[in-house]
Amino acid sequence: MTTAKQHAATSAIADIQRGFLGSGYIASDAIATCVYIAQALSKPILVEGPPGVGKTELATATAKLLDKPLIRLQCYEGLDESKALYEWKYGKQLLYTQVLKEKLGDLMQGAQGLKESITRLHEFDDTFFNEEFLEPRPLLKALWAPHGAVLLIDEIDKSDQEFEAFLLELLQDYQISIPEIGTVKAKHPPIVFLTSNNTREIGDALKRRCLHLYIPFPDAKLEQRIIESRVPALEAGLRAQLVAFVQSLRGLDLKKVPAVSETIDWARTLLLLHAAELEPALVRQTLNVLLKFQDDIEHVDAEVPALARQAAKSA
Amino acid sequence: MTQVLSNFIKALRACDVRVSTAESIDAAAALELVGFERRTLIKEALGQVLAKTPDDKARFNDCFERFFTFEAMGSDAEGASGDDAGQANPAPGEEAGQGGSGGGGAGGLAAMLERGDGPALQQALASAARNVQLQNIRLFTQRGMYIRRILEDMGIEPLDDLLYALLKANDDDARALKLKEQKARLIENVAELVDRQMLMYTANAWPKLREEVLEKTPLARIEMRDFKVMQELVRKLAKRLVSLHSRRRHVAKRGRLDVRHTIRKNIEYDGLLFDTVWKRVRIDRPKVIAVCDVSGSVAQVARFLLLFLYSVAEVLPKVRAFAFSSHLGEVTSLFEQKPVEEAVVEAVNTYGMGSTDYGGALAELERLTLADIDQRTTVIILGDARSNYGDAGERSLRRIHERARRVLWLNPEPAAFWNSGDSEMQKLGAACDKVESCRTLKHLERVVSEIARTAV
Repeated sequence: MTTAKQHAATSAIADIQRGFLGSGYIASDAIATCVYIAQALSKPILVEGPPGVGKTELATATAKLLDKPLIRLQCYEGLDESKALYEWKYGKQLLYTQVLKEKLGDLMQGAQGLKESITRLHEFDDTFFNEEFLEPRPLLKALWAPHGAVLLIDEIDKSDQEFEAFLLELLQDYQISIPEIGTVKAKHPPIVFLTSNNTREIGDALKRRCLHLYIPFPDAKLEQRIIESRVPALEAGLRAQLVAFVQSLRGLDLKKVPAVSETIDWARTLLLLHAAELEPALVRQTLNVLLKFQDDIEHVDAEVPALARQAAKSA
Repeated sequence: MTQVLSNFIKALRACDVRVSTAESIDAAAALELVGFERRTLIKEALGQVLAKTPDDKARFNDCFERFFTFEAMGSDAEGASGDDAGQANPAPGEEAGQGGSGGGGAGGLAAMLERGDGPALQQALASAARNVQLQNIRLFTQRGMYIRRILEDMGIEPLDDLLYALLKANDDDARALKLKEQKARLIENVAELVDRQMLMYTANAWPKLREEVLEKTPLARIEMRDFKVMQELVRKLAKRLVSLHSRRRHVAKRGRLDVRHTIRKNIEYDGLLFDTVWKRVRIDRPKVIAVCDVSGSVAQVARFLLLFLYSVAEVLPKVRAFAFSSHLGEVTSLFEQKPVEEAVVEAVNTYGMGSTDYGGALAELERLTLADIDQRTTVIILGDARSNYGDAGERSLRRIHERARRVLWLNPEPAAFWNSGDSEMQKLGAACDKVESCRTLKHLERVVSEIARTAV
């Protein structure tokens, strides 16, 4: 272990953090370290955490940082190879066979007997199963990307287990086998992000191949920085109050606690309404930006004055 | 450094974090990459490579803190390099351990103590710990043995000889007294190190043993204080079962071009393929209706059965749960809304007061669910079939049986007790596909695994 190398690592991580900052994404040490390791070891990253903490945003920011195209695959129940990897252009194939029917007649002319005709046909047989007729879907697109890409496989927990198993080859070797063509290997391994909201347990085999990054809700300080970078026009005092209020909401028993994205939305709302500080009446009116269930809103409604006062005090 | 890493991974495994060989290799690569400059950096990097669930992460953090404490004495960099040096130069410890009477080791140890050379002592201690393979400690009964071995390895015998000689010459030799005091402190240090290691490598040994025993204990005989452990066990069991069998539930779901049928169908159009045929497999969504007897006679078991129901409802999408004693009610929404302890207690309190009325309960079940029962529904009934000499309700159960895919009866009593007294197992069992005795968690696992394999 040379110290030069260690410095390289530390400064590379700092660089990544700075780069993220440029595109408005505030990355904690853990996130920056993870991106650095993933790049250096070319390993996919499995990002987990509660909804709305910026899992998808991380992939977008990374794509921006590395100046690579972002290719996104949204997972859902029933997603299969033909949607994720490739599909033959059946329509085009059928059309071409019809159009070329005459041509085929010409080609066959003079062929003696069935055997010779088939031999002649064999010379053309791959015509309809080559890349010309291949419709690339996100995964194949990511492998084919000429200068590498950032591949985001979003909400992997929504897909089926079969699909998870199918991803293993891609995640391990950055290659994929297509029966009709052969193995497609990436020239530049893409940086892969998989996100999960943990609606089901992800298989061990998949986890083993990934770095695991857990993004929790940010603490007050980090959240303030995030708001500062996203809604710079908001005045600092109000920002501190707002973050303190949201943080205390997260401590309550709610169906869905407000995420960072909702804090940002709320900050924008307050800015739009020219709020100077958190007044209970104003909070009540805008509570529906933060909370998405009527039960939650009713539950919090009564406690708004106390929470607002507390937020003002702590900020 | 690989030695330290592999020891750390061993400690992690002892703390119930699952680490595969591939992940160990990744960990080494990541460590190589980030270097040893910053402790937090190492922690983040290793955490991301080795711990892959939030639970694992918590355990990892705990273990990391405990494992790398002694390095926190100096700066991080020093700790790491000290380790390397210890490995490259284990001479003082080893020599003393083998030589015995050789004065070198004693001189070394005595000199270190007298000099108050902390770092050197720490190094010697670390290398001695490695020499006696302290990481293999498993039980607290081994504590004394390992302390002794480490001390021997560090050269305590020659030190004792030296002390003896000094004290013999002069009863209150100042040097000897001071040395004695330092020796005591050293022993304390060694004991502390062994304790720490023991905690790390064996922290999980006892809970594991306890879990193994609990799995085989009849549910009725499990004490309240073990409820928490059982809860965790049951949850693990339900999760394992569902992940084991959920694969079967998902079959291909989207249509694909069925080439064979397409060609066959289009022959009549002169081979012009314009009427395409698509393959489609229906999604097999299992439905489970579970009914649990919570009356006094099975109260002990009912808690666990409810617990199990709760865990299954958490992991399977379509579970309707019912509880009954004198009357029957649905607890599905209760399970969805409340955390497990509250839900189980509330279910028992709401439905568990009366005496069992199987006739009424099964009739009510029929009324509530018959419309919902179809070819894909599995009905599970958990109860002792003791109907207090009242109506057993077998006619209702029979009607349910006709519609459902399977009806299973899990009886917490051993089979020998069935049909004795007011037990109506014979009558009710005739309207079931399968009747099983289900007394321990192991039974429960086997039975449910079978349900999942064949019906779900």
